[in-house]
Amino acid sequence: MSEFPAVSIKHLTRVFRLPTLRRQSITAVDDVSFDIAPGQIYGLIGPNGSGKSTTMKVLLGLLRATQGTCAIFGRDSARVDSREDVGFLPENPYFYRHLTGRETLAFYGKLCGIRGAALKERTAELLALVELEQAADRRLSGYSKGMLQRIGLAQAIIHRPRLVVLDEPTAGVDPGGSRKIRDLILTLRGQGITVILSSHLLEQVQEVCDRVGIIYKGKLVREGLLSDLMSIEDQTEILLRNATPEVLAAVRALIAGQSATELLHLGNPRTTLERLFLDVTGGSSADSREYVK
Amino acid sequence: MTPSSPDIPRPAARRHIRFSLSRILTLAGGTFTQLVRMKVFYFMAIFAVAVIAASFAFADLQTDGQLKLLKDVSLASMSLFSMLFAIAGTALLIPRDIEDRTLYTILCKPVPRLEYLLGKLLGVVFLIFISLILMDVLFSVVLYLKEQAIISEQVAALQNRKFATREMLEANIASVQESMMGQGLTWNLQNGVLAIFFKAIVLTGVTLLVSTFASSTIFTIMASLAIMVIGQAQSLARDTLLGQDASIVPRAIGGAVSLLFPDFKGFDIVDAVVTGSAVPALVMGKMAGLTLVYLVVHLMAAYVIFSDKEL
Ligand SMILES: Nc1ncnc2c1ncn2[C@@H]1O[C@H](COP(=O)(O)OP(=O)(O)OP(=O)(O)O)[C@@H](O)[C@H]1O
Ligand SMILES: [Mg+2]
Repeated sequence: MSEFPAVSIKHLTRVFRLPTLRRQSITAVDDVSFDIAPGQIYGLIGPNGSGKSTTMKVLLGLLRATQGTCAIFGRDSARVDSREDVGFLPENPYFYRHLTGRETLAFYGKLCGIRGAALKERTAELLALVELEQAADRRLSGYSKGMLQRIGLAQAIIHRPRLVVLDEPTAGVDPGGSRKIRDLILTLRGQGITVILSSHLLEQVQEVCDRVGIIYKGKLVREGLLSDLMSIEDQTEILLRNATPEVLAAVRALIAGQSATELLHLGNPRTTLERLFLDVTGGSSADSREYVK
Repeated sequence: MTPSSPDIPRPAARRHIRFSLSRILTLAGGTFTQLVRMKVFYFMAIFAVAVIAASFAFADLQTDGQLKLLKDVSLASMSLFSMLFAIAGTALLIPRDIEDRTLYTILCKPVPRLEYLLGKLLGVVFLIFISLILMDVLFSVVLYLKEQAIISEQVAALQNRKFATREMLEANIASVQESMMGQGLTWNLQNGVLAIFFKAIVLTGVTLLVSTFASSTIFTIMASLAIMVIGQAQSLARDTLLGQDASIVPRAIGGAVSLLFPDFKGFDIVDAVVTGSAVPALVMGKMAGLTLVYLVVHLMAAYVIFSDKEL
């Protein structure tokens, strides 16, 4: 569709000067370069303060680069028109609390040049997609964190951008809600939309991302396809069901007879806390409860 | 989230519109809605009480004194409220957008920063416009009723007196009517309201400029108030400091200062209007021109600062 990468970041450096007399500065992002091909889901991970949000803000033209360049589908991030093709969900977003969910989407839709019947249709469609139809006509001041995050996601994609930038889309959202957000991201991928997201939930990143970059103290320390980064090539996993002690003993004996093979672990696999939580709560969040008088 | 959302055909790549009036109007509409939902129009109730109280108060004053009092109180309240809306409306909204990071969600859409500023400005100006119209209508109705009440009272008093001829009675009644109508509801009063509107627009521009470099709402409000006060006092200061025959350099400095700190004296026609002296169209035209100049200068300065601002 396009000969340009969806995102192209070249030698991006961003220095913040603190407004103190001693002229201290901090290099929030330090010579970061990577490209994202159209249609990929890219995960940017790293500890707090490592420069993920700063990278995203420069990509969206909200901050200037100290050095280096960012481009979205070949258009420099400093240009306003590069924002035609990108939707952004900032971290801990605040929207206008006095607007209802529907009005919020209409507001951002109009800013993107959508109006009339098309806007109405698109707004209704997105409210259905993020399951906020019940709450569509309530003001955002009464929304829960999970609902705010979902309305934020809806406003990010209202103009059908080819690239969506999500800064911690699941922060503060319960496991059920964050699974819905994950499903939505997968839906976007199904439509050929490129996604770049940051998150501290590594399991989720592992589930949805094609490619990840690990950023630490402003430097991109690892970068590549998830499958390449994750596989430990000299190890193999065997998962058994209903194995009797005799079978296990036989397996142990077999391995013990091989001089080159070493048994690293044998025991019950653990369920993740997330999976347990989802089983107990049925995977639904409390947002869809209706108010009763 | 139903993963069934069908693959909708994407529209062909949109062409970016450099300057879009409809985006500005969207932002202005949002600003106006926000202020309305912050219940600013409740202040109108205070105005209504003030106007109605002024129309009943001091019944023992001279009749034209009563009308003057009503006009004084009403126009002063209009001026106060419009300036309050200008400063508070602008100062509450832009620094808050920055603090809450709502601005990120707006500027990451294809919205040029100048359009954002224009939208905010227009929204606040529209609010001031609507509130002035509401106040003006209420004030005009009350003033008209008061004027008619006084006329009929005085006509009745005249009719009880003995005049030599019927012509003399009619001449007296006509003169009472004429003088009362000159003190009552006139088009000239609307010039006073227009001047108040102009002044509020200038103040909105000033506050917008301050809020682009201020880091908080409270600072914006304080700084704008300070600029307003300096603006009120500066022509006085300029005359005493510079004198009449100052050389070109201090004059240029004075001119620059008066661009940043608008000289609000040029807008003070309310007193003249209240006493009933007519304001020439030329004066109103000059005022409109001055408003435009201030607005453009402040907006340009605001844009220069804001376009470079790190969010
Ligand atoms: N406006 C700013 N002024 C000064 N320093 C800043 C500014 N914004 C970010 N920083 C600093 O830059 C570094 C990177 O911050 P950034 O927000 O990009 O981290 P992050 O990876 O998004 O962290 P988190 O996971 O907590 O969201 C931090 O040390 C932060 O203190
Ligand atoms: Mg962050």
